[in-house]
Amino acid sequence: MSSNLAHNPGARRSIEQPTRLLNPMRVVYVLLSLLVVGVLAFATLRPVQVLPRIRLAPGFLLTDAYGGRLTNEDMRGRLTLYNFTRTRCEAPCPQTSQVMQAVQARLGEIETDLPIELVTISLDPEYDTPAALQAYAQKWQADPQRWHLVTGDAERLKWIVGGGFGVYYAFKEDGRFTFDPAFMLVDGAGILRAEYRTASPDVDRILRDLRLVVQEVENSTGAARYAYEAAHLFLCYPRG
Amino acid sequence: MSSHSDATDLSAHSGARPRWQWWAIGVGAVAFGFFLGWALLQLVQQRPFGPPNFHGTVIQSDTPTHNFTLTDQTGARVSLTDFRGKVVLLYFGYTYCPDVCPATLRDLARVKQALGSAGGDLQVVMVSLDPARDTPAHLAEYLAYFDPSFVGLTGSENEIAAAATPLGIFYEKHAGTVATGYLIDHTASVLALDRGGRVRLVYPFNTPPAAIAADMRYLLRD
Repeated sequence: MSSNLAHNPGARRSIEQPTRLLNPMRVVYVLLSLLVVGVLAFATLRPVQVLPRIRLAPGFLLTDAYGGRLTNEDMRGRLTLYNFTRTRCEAPCPQTSQVMQAVQARLGEIETDLPIELVTISLDPEYDTPAALQAYAQKWQADPQRWHLVTGDAERLKWIVGGGFGVYYAFKEDGRFTFDPAFMLVDGAGILRAEYRTASPDVDRILRDLRLVVQEVENSTGAARYAYEAAHLFLCYPRG
Repeated sequence: MSSHSDATDLSAHSGARPRWQWWAIGVGAVAFGFFLGWALLQLVQQRPFGPPNFHGTVIQSDTPTHNFTLTDQTGARVSLTDFRGKVVLLYFGYTYCPDVCPATLRDLARVKQALGSAGGDLQVVMVSLDPARDTPAHLAEYLAYFDPSFVGLTGSENEIAAAATPLGIFYEKHAGTVATGYLIDHTASVLALDRGGRVRLVYPFNTPPAAIAADMRYLLRD
């Protein structure tokens, strides 16, 4: 039966053709190794980099320097960098707003239509009236369209900043105020994407992180969404 | 068997294979390809990979969310940790809510229906943002209308703020009409917590119940 087949003209043709290169097992091996190499390359070279979706950022309703209100829902769809301080914070108190100012000055480098905003939460509502916040905004040349200075009820602030953002601060009995300087990057879905727990983070790094989130928002549509989800899956986070 | 060895002899001599072998190899390769694809799909759906396409927004936190203790609709004190071992769909709303909350609760009841017996370990929990009007008795009456298995939680203003704030829930009272009384603006997301109490997925208002049910099937398998 098979020897009949082997002697028919069709089989002869296949015998005459050079078939070494197209050996089917070889094709399977090549495809398999391509798949493995592809996955490894994706996981190590990280062609698509993302920031982790760390946890939910807190919900809040706070008052700004002009007596207006600012809520976390207002920041939905906007990329927001938060810092926490008080206007009476003078050296040696760490000047985190200096970093905010530097970031504000360089936001123009990121070409996007996505709104990127800055929020400074004052932890000292007793002293930081809207007038005090306005003076502080002037001191740091805060662009009122972009940089919001807010505060609120002391007890609520503890839930928002302490409980929600996980940033420690305390008014000591001797009147001293201590806090752990921190910056938080929150995406348009209200999810914390980066935390910088230092008084002087690298501004270049903050800008790189902002860019990464902007790119993810702008590019992760259609099939590219799978590449971005794969990047989250394989923890393709930027180094350093 | 003997014809098989004939054929291999022939191919060994000529350095090529007869056509039927090519067919067999082709069919085998396709079948192997299907098997590989299937195996990869199985692998991808297991921990720690997770399915590639959740409908909700995935949160990667590997620590359980903060705990809180409130009063349920029977008057008992209940903590979020009491639901460990169950998958929890957590929602913040209030019973006088005119449209958003009933729509969401109706959708969550549909999620549970869609899962059928697989949904036994799925617990829907609504935390009231209006403790002044949402007494346990009122919550019990309201939730029974959607699904008797739903848990409703209420407490003091402070307890509720401490529960809601770290989960990104904004809420604020504002004046309604004489007929409705005051209303509460609030974040209308639904949060999915896995069996370990970690927030895993966030759904915006109006996510189709079928999409939530598909994700829940995965979380319930863990």
